[in-house]
Amino acid sequence: MSEKQRKHSIFDKMNGYVEEFENLVDELMASAFSEGPSWNTETCCLQALSNVFMTSREVVVTADMPNIETETVKVEAVDENTVEITAKMRKKVRFADLGIYHRQGEFSSLRCQGRIHVAFDAEKMKIAYKGGIVEVRFSRKKK
Amino acid sequence: MSKAVEIVEKKPIPSEATMLIGLPDVGLVGLIATSYLITELKLEEIAYMDSDLLPPVVVLHKGLPHAPLRIYGNQNLIAVISELAVPVPAIYSVMREIVDWGEAKKVKRIVSMGGIPVESRQTITEPQVFGAASNQELLDMLNKKGLKILNEGYIVGPQALSMRYSSSKKVPAMAILAQSFYNYPDPEAAAMVLKEFSNIFEIKVDVSKLREKGEEIRLKARDIMKRTQQEMKRMKKSQEYDLPLYV
Repeated sequence: MSEKQRKHSIFDKMNGYVEEFENLVDELMASAFSEGPSWNTETCCLQALSNVFMTSREVVVTADMPNIETETVKVEAVDENTVEITAKMRKKVRFADLGIYHRQGEFSSLRCQGRIHVAFDAEKMKIAYKGGIVEVRFSRKKK
Repeated sequence: MSKAVEIVEKKPIPSEATMLIGLPDVGLVGLIATSYLITELKLEEIAYMDSDLLPPVVVLHKGLPHAPLRIYGNQNLIAVISELAVPVPAIYSVMREIVDWGEAKKVKRIVSMGGIPVESRQTITEPQVFGAASNQELLDMLNKKGLKILNEGYIVGPQALSMRYSSSKKVPAMAILAQSFYNYPDPEAAAMVLKEFSNIFEIKVDVSKLREKGEEIRLKARDIMKRTQQEMKRMKKSQEYDLPLYV
């Protein structure tokens, strides 16, 4: 194989790796941001926006939950990596209230799931609600 | 279509107007503020943007199709909004065309409204508003109007490009930015930005209805916020949290 051909094949290989990496990133992005609707007429739930961030001691999950009855906020660990937050809305919201008339359905609660990629203590949590944001703090488990 | 992005005019475009840009970004602050202003001031749709770089989408309003990137106006104001999270590969061409078009229409200045992400936003009742400008004269004017100046920091995304292209074309440009949620729609931050806009340009804007509709807006804006977050991630928007180094 000539010098020129070898260089070509190295660049081809590198391009292949870059392409593979890009596909992987696209896949990860797609799984992080699912393409489904942000509502479910069967469960009468609207999907709330949420965030997960970590400090050295805590895992903090927040969810944008306006218009809820604060005493109905429920936080559950679905599995060791997933937390679900649900709450009932003060007032039911219909599609028509959101300016949509070609769909039927009304929603009585907000729901979201947060993926947590570190070990945390699901039994001990602190829940706060301020400005329409639910904030849940868990202690991280020591290794 | 010869240009990557084309602005199609539907009505006569005023000259010497102030151009506002409210594209989807942090907390959707600019979009919420600008679209509220369009409704309150009853601005008319005067142009729209067309590009093969944008997804094949139309938005239906009252049964009629509209381009997602539209331009509204009256004799004194031109307002650019997008009901679509502008894909990162299109953002350079879109912003360049907006600034070029604004220059051709002899706009007096370009004003971007938006948010500055703060981590503890939920603990802030009244978000602070900051200003940035393309030249010292404008900065002094903002200062005189009582706006705090964003002295050091990064701006990433549409506002950054608006500043950059406006500066190179010598079109005066400024940004009015309120502390806001990063990826939750923030109508309160939008209200604060509008209050400052109203104070700077002496245009009366009543933000009480925006505040009343805050919860409804937050529910309605979840989808566009989610899509905007994907684009913000691609453009490395989180760099706005970084501390710049200039010794």
